Amino acid sequence: MSRLQTEGLTLAYTETRAVVEALSLQIPDGAVTAIVGPNGCGKSTLLKALGRLIAPRSGAVLLDGKAIHRLPTREVARQLGLLPQSPEAPEAIVVEDLVHRGRYPHQSVFQPPSKEDREAVERALARTGLTALRDRPVDELSGGQRQRAWIAMALAQETPILLLDEPTTYLDLAHQQEVLELIRRLSREEGRTVVVVLHDVNHAAWVADHAVALCHGRVVAAGPPHEVFSPGVLQAVFGVPCDVLACPGFDCSLCLPRGRTLHYVPGDGAAPAQPAPALRAEGLTLGYGGHPVVVDLSVTFPAGKVSAIVGPNGCGKSTLLRALAGLLPPARGQLYLGDRPLHGWAPRARARQVGLLPQLNAAPPHMSVDEVVALGRYPYQRWYRQWTRADLQAMERAMEATGVLDLRWRPLASLSGGQRQRVWLAMALAQETPILLLDEPTSFLDMAHQVAVLDLVREMNRREGRTVIMVLHDLDQASQYADFVVAMKEGRLVAAGPPSEVIREDLVEEVFGVRSTIFSDPATGAPVVMLQALARGAG
Amino acid sequence: MSLVPAHDPELPGRPPLVLVRVGPFSFRANLRVVALVAGAAALLAALALWGLTLGDVRFSWSEIAQAIAGQGPPSATFIVRDLRLPRILAALLVGPMLAMAGAIFQGLVRNPLVAPDVIGINAGASAAAVLWIVTRKPPALVPVAAFLGAVAAAAAIYLLTWRGRIATGRLIVVGIGVNALLTAATTFLLVQARIQDAGRAVLWMTGSLYAADWADVRLLAAALAVLGPLGATLMPALRVLQLGDLGAAALGMRVERRRLALLLVGCALAAVAVSVAGPVGFVALMVPHAARLLAGPMTGGVFLFTGLLGGLLLLGADLVAQHGLPASLPVGVVTAALGAPYFLAVLYRSGAKG
Repeated sequence: MSRLQTEGLTLAYTETRAVVEALSLQIPDGAVTAIVGPNGCGKSTLLKALGRLIAPRSGAVLLDGKAIHRLPTREVARQLGLLPQSPEAPEAIVVEDLVHRGRYPHQSVFQPPSKEDREAVERALARTGLTALRDRPVDELSGGQRQRAWIAMALAQETPILLLDEPTTYLDLAHQQEVLELIRRLSREEGRTVVVVLHDVNHAAWVADHAVALCHGRVVAAGPPHEVFSPGVLQAVFGVPCDVLACPGFDCSLCLPRGRTLHYVPGDGAAPAQPAPALRAEGLTLGYGGHPVVVDLSVTFPAGKVSAIVGPNGCGKSTLLRALAGLLPPARGQLYLGDRPLHGWAPRARARQVGLLPQLNAAPPHMSVDEVVALGRYPYQRWYRQWTRADLQAMERAMEATGVLDLRWRPLASLSGGQRQRVWLAMALAQETPILLLDEPTSFLDMAHQVAVLDLVREMNRREGRTVIMVLHDLDQASQYADFVVAMKEGRLVAAGPPSEVIREDLVEEVFGVRSTIFSDPATGAPVVMLQALARGAG
Repeated sequence: MSLVPAHDPELPGRPPLVLVRVGPFSFRANLRVVALVAGAAALLAALALWGLTLGDVRFSWSEIAQAIAGQGPPSATFIVRDLRLPRILAALLVGPMLAMAGAIFQGLVRNPLVAPDVIGINAGASAAAVLWIVTRKPPALVPVAAFLGAVAAAAAIYLLTWRGRIATGRLIVVGIGVNALLTAATTFLLVQARIQDAGRAVLWMTGSLYAADWADVRLLAAALAVLGPLGATLMPALRVLQLGDLGAAALGMRVERRRLALLLVGCALAAVAVSVAGPVGFVALMVPHAARLLAGPMTGGVFLFTGLLGGLLLLGADLVAQHGLPASLPVGVVTAALGAPYFLAVLYRSGAKG
């Protein structure tokens, strides 16, 4: 019998709807268990219940056979550490002090740190490779370092069981690899039990010894990853057809979701009636307050194509996109929309040519979907002519294309993350611009919604000939959906061209600093990236 | 003019929208909001007429009509035309101006807890007016001093916030700082002043309409006639600003220019209203919130409804303050007495939900 298990566990935030229902689960000792599932399937809720943060409606979480919510807080905290999703650091705290907080369950009031406390902190810092960074403020660290600092805090708690909620989300390739490797070492070398909620099925396949697939609060499949991550289970859990690609030389496989536009060959779409003017950067240098973020960048984004901009966090992708939308004047160099410098355009006229969907949109409180989509018509409206038939038709076309027409009168706040992202896309579509810029349109979405959004983007491109330029986090998505890939590092252009020319082993190492093996997707021929250090046995 | 149903497919929750076209003007109107506006306007007119009959001297409707036309006995003409009517009209004009200013500020900073009373504009008016009163300058010019104080406070807040752009979070913090500073200055002036002066100053600071005369009404009407429509035409911009600066700029808006225009209109509305009535509290905070609750997100129509609701609240509160209580009180006491519980109820409800 394993130390941590659930018995008929039902969790609910409201009286009427259970988030997790009658769940009985064994967490194997000394192994990494990954929990995957679509947004809202109850995976974070389950993790919180395992960590004693929410009380069960019925059933129980058992730790060594005892109901966990009956045990004293401190006793539980000495057995079990929980790291919530994207925790917030108090300002100006240094790494060592943060890690020290993990010792709280072992300390009594008014006691100075004991020898054990200091040793535990040292061990946690060494384990996470942060010893050299111990005096650095947490807010100055990179995303991967910060995530490691949080994990170090959980480690200093020296619990045999660790619960981690999406530790790889929002990190770039190199940092994801850092964190996943650390998780695996914790279980392999120290024999700890780790339960980790993961967003990305491939991360789960890499890191886990045991996988649990959740859907609507119920376990669809549990077992070794190669059994759980089969096309049938993935289809049942995420509602997306997937291929599972065996990778020669690796003993874990790669899951590739298949969208509707799988067999799209670049150039087979209807030729755009009016070729959209391409965006072109020449010797472009961009910066905020004199500090250059993008340096001497020259690239032409082809008209009527889907382009993807990839690179590590902080490489200037979003800044470049902002400049392409005409919202950031170049410090040096020039941007051209067709033949005209972009900054010669009046804001409204420019907003009828180039639309930008920022990564994080503030959700206007209480507005309905209709009202949000209507905001996209702003560049066409005047104070005396606030609403015309043309506005209405453009809005309805946009809502139809994104499938949100049925949600039209619902308040935005009542929608799920995936629905909301489609509403934002509808707003950008209603702007009716030949060029559309999207900043990480798939962040915050689960696999099914990611595929839906990317399918939609490419259909728009094919049907209407719109030029799409998007920043993407995921290299596989870029290679599957883009005709043209731009790779950036530290504000400079590293490579630009078709996916097969840019997503290469040497360039991935140069841009992201990780070693990889590139496979060819048998269905499309597109390159697929397998990180080498993550292959089993290589760590 | 044509009225066309703006939408065909029936879906749950569909508001009754129509497309209104008058010559070059065309906009979308929500019939529910139109009905609310009409209802509020009718209620306001009825309340104003009823208010004319209230007081120590009772008049019949015909006497009031004659007095307004200037044909009745001189005493009745004096009471109705020079005492009651200006006071009622002042309430009718000050209420909307405060409420509209509140709606603009709340939209600008995307925070329903912000109003000119919170970010120091009323405090600027108070500090200047109290300085004027305790230094025994001509009392007739108190409104001018208050107006200048409000404008100076708004300018100070704007300049202290400006770092190449106006960050709304910073605007709130700077505003609260300016508010604290000016409140301290006002308190200092009050404790230094002679007791009679301090008494008059405190009365002004509570906010009251008892001294309103025709000159005030003309000033208020002129200001509202200019600023009200200006504010209404800025509502689409205010809605787009809810997307955040980047989203608004991506839609082709000159963000800083629009924001300056909105700030100017909001400050001017608040400054003129406060210069006449004193810093009447809670109207600017409470009314836009209630209006959004009843009519939905801010549009030109909801902005108008906000104004009417402000008028209803201030006129109602003034009538209660004047006639409904054993002693005649300044209107600011009544609005505060209504506003504080309303506010707590809203906080409690939002707390219970989240």
